[in-house]
Amino acid sequence: MTMSKAFFDADIAWCPGCGNFSILRTFEKAVEAAGIDRRKLVLVSGIGQAAKLPHYTQANVFNGLHGRALPAAVGIKLANHELEVVITSGDGDMYGEGGNHLIHNIRRNVGVKAFVHNNQVYGLTKGQASPTSDMGFVTKVQTHGVMSPPFNPLAIAIVEDCSFVARAFAGDPKHLQEMMLAALEHKGGFALLDILQPCPTFNHVNTFKWYRERVKKVDESHDPFDRQKALEVAFKWGEEIPIGIIYRSERASFESLQPVLGKGTLVERPVAGAS
Amino acid sequence: MDINVRIAGAAGQGVETTGELLVEAFAGLGLYVFSTQSYMSRVRGGLNWFDIRIGERELFSGREKADLLVALTPEALELLSEGVAEGGLVVFNGEGQEGVVGIAFEEVAKELTGSKIMGNTVAAGAVFSLLGYDVGELESRLRARFERKGAEVVEGNMRCARRGAELAAGHTGTLRAPEGGDAPTGICSGNEAVGLGAATAGVKLVTSYPMTPSTGVFTFLASVADEYGIVVEQAEDEIAAINMVCGATYAGVPAMTTTSGGGFALMVEGLALAGMLELPAFVFLGQRPGPATGLPTRTGQQDLKFAINAGHGEFPRAIFAPGTPQQCYELTRRALETAHRFQTPAILMSDQFLADVRTNCRGLDTSCRPIDRCIVEEPGADYVRYAVTADGVSPRALPGSEAFVAVDSDEHGEDGHITEDLAARVRLQDKRMRKLEGMTVEALAPEWYGPGDAEYVLLAWGSTYGPCREAVDLLGGRGESVAMLHFAQVWPIHAAPVRSLLASGGESPGEGRRVISVEGNATGQFASVLRGLGILEECRLMLRYDGMPFTGEEIARRVKP
Repeated sequence: MTMSKAFFDADIAWCPGCGNFSILRTFEKAVEAAGIDRRKLVLVSGIGQAAKLPHYTQANVFNGLHGRALPAAVGIKLANHELEVVITSGDGDMYGEGGNHLIHNIRRNVGVKAFVHNNQVYGLTKGQASPTSDMGFVTKVQTHGVMSPPFNPLAIAIVEDCSFVARAFAGDPKHLQEMMLAALEHKGGFALLDILQPCPTFNHVNTFKWYRERVKKVDESHDPFDRQKALEVAFKWGEEIPIGIIYRSERASFESLQPVLGKGTLVERPVAGAS
Repeated sequence: MDINVRIAGAAGQGVETTGELLVEAFAGLGLYVFSTQSYMSRVRGGLNWFDIRIGERELFSGREKADLLVALTPEALELLSEGVAEGGLVVFNGEGQEGVVGIAFEEVAKELTGSKIMGNTVAAGAVFSLLGYDVGELESRLRARFERKGAEVVEGNMRCARRGAELAAGHTGTLRAPEGGDAPTGICSGNEAVGLGAATAGVKLVTSYPMTPSTGVFTFLASVADEYGIVVEQAEDEIAAINMVCGATYAGVPAMTTTSGGGFALMVEGLALAGMLELPAFVFLGQRPGPATGLPTRTGQQDLKFAINAGHGEFPRAIFAPGTPQQCYELTRRALETAHRFQTPAILMSDQFLADVRTNCRGLDTSCRPIDRCIVEEPGADYVRYAVTADGVSPRALPGSEAFVAVDSDEHGEDGHITEDLAARVRLQDKRMRKLEGMTVEALAPEWYGPGDAEYVLLAWGSTYGPCREAVDLLGGRGESVAMLHFAQVWPIHAAPVRSLLASGGESPGEGRRVISVEGNATGQFASVLRGLGILEECRLMLRYDGMPFTGEEIARRVKP
């Protein structure tokens, strides 16, 4: 496996040691493993460090507005559901600015895959708290420490019956690749993959070492179709942080429910219409 | 000659249903019809009315006074009797009194059918009879309307219509109704016309958050979605709606969203995204009075400068403002074509008045004739999305083809990837803005109505077309020299020809003619835009911002008291 030419040509804006490098390398492998034709692959992002990933690989790119990757991705998928549409986003982009779209697109269940690089801090704006920062996390803005408990993306997704919910860790690329592949191969609609990503520059609490001591793969007895159990797993955070496929649901995708889309993609469809 | 019928009552009483039934039935008689609505922001109660003006010649505006008032509630009788013209008639849903014909519509319906629900039909029958029209035409409309609900419902309605006609017979007084002729029998509202224009132009994705007065376009498109192959999705908010439109247009599908001022305010960042990404995003903006929530069910033209300037940074956009349902249909198509030809957003501006107007439309073509999306079929291996060209328009390829298509809200190079190269920034910004030159040259010329040498010129844009046109006719009939200059495209405007048109007869712009800008806002926004373009210097402003539409009579009175 080699990195694409685009990767070496690009002027990469990430800090040395950033968890994003591992995520990018693993993403390249997962795309190869899934056998995806890159010309049919659209990477959609908003704003943030994770959102720059599409520029560092070879694919179609839609780098839109902060927090708005999801609706743009849904628009693309509805226009041409034969495209593989993957969102690369961060915790600020997806869980903060774009929170309303996340809530409603889990319900909508359009087959786009969201890979959320969750570093529990704002990198691009230099170190403020993010929606997933732990209580007490001190920054130049949150000078007395974060006072709101963190957003729990997995629990929210499970409560909303999201069709695919998983978590991985940038420091375990082999497992991360498995999770990415499972998400890419998921056919039942929307997939959320939360990726724990250390930020060596702005987050000196949640480091590679900190995560490595805590992440624990869900064991094989875990049944992702058991919603109550999945919710229990999703609530675990702190001493033990579960990673793996946490929840799955057999739901009809939005596309499969749309009579119009059953006749082909909107972009290719010969225009019928009334005579 | 023409007369004005006003049906008034509380929300939930079927004022609109009765009005729409009568509009169709009058048109069926070959009459020209022009209906407007006044309603409150509530689902039950209050005071709503539906005006139907009928005439022997084409009509373009509502009228202030009613010749026939049908009052369904005591409140409607009390508040609207003053607005009845001399020699007019009043029919009240209850006891008669001096000067008022009493027909208890709901009780009559209950007697005949066991339910008061068909009281509206009794009222419609009474109206037909009072105007001296053949109730047979009303009956055939009722049959068409209720056929799918079964024979019993059709028969009940027939009986109610006939009974209403019988009870009203002999009360006609001096009212003289226009005679039916050969007016087009097809009726269309402003909002339906926009929806039909979009569907026939090949729009394939519509995503909106409901907001009065734009919702009618959204629901119309939903009603024809299966027929035309359109995906209609209600977005979680307007931000999602415009960003979905951006995604869909990037992938090659003509897409649109519908909204009003408050929702458009939320879309503004997404509009700038469409400008930066060079996407043919199309927005229908139905105006109502603001700021903020304002008057949700009333009309106004207060978002012109907002639309022209919406979005941070600078990018070209085209803004259309049709004046009639017929223009709504035609310009929706034109807006989509312009957006695709120049790869930049387009906005169609309407308002509550025009949204709800129902009038005769000449054979709107319902066949799907998709617009040219201006896509390169075979992009080469070295394709870049933002190739710098002489006219600023770059060849447009779609993702999924042989080319990789990259677009970025950050400033980008020709390849669409993020850059902070400031020379590239200038090159790309110049490229984007060059499109505005072509758009300006191709902009719709304004329409002149009235004598070429008119002393007074009424400047109009959007929905004031009809009222201004009628004012020109009214004043012309009194020997006054008045014309109208109506702009159905308000941005960009090709200034030079307009400047010479207004200046003819004088040395400097506007001199020699008395220009009056007629606008539904408090500041004269359009006049200000024209001043900014050097088209005007001074002009008189005729403004209205109480939430009600202009009428031709009002404009005529205010030009020359």
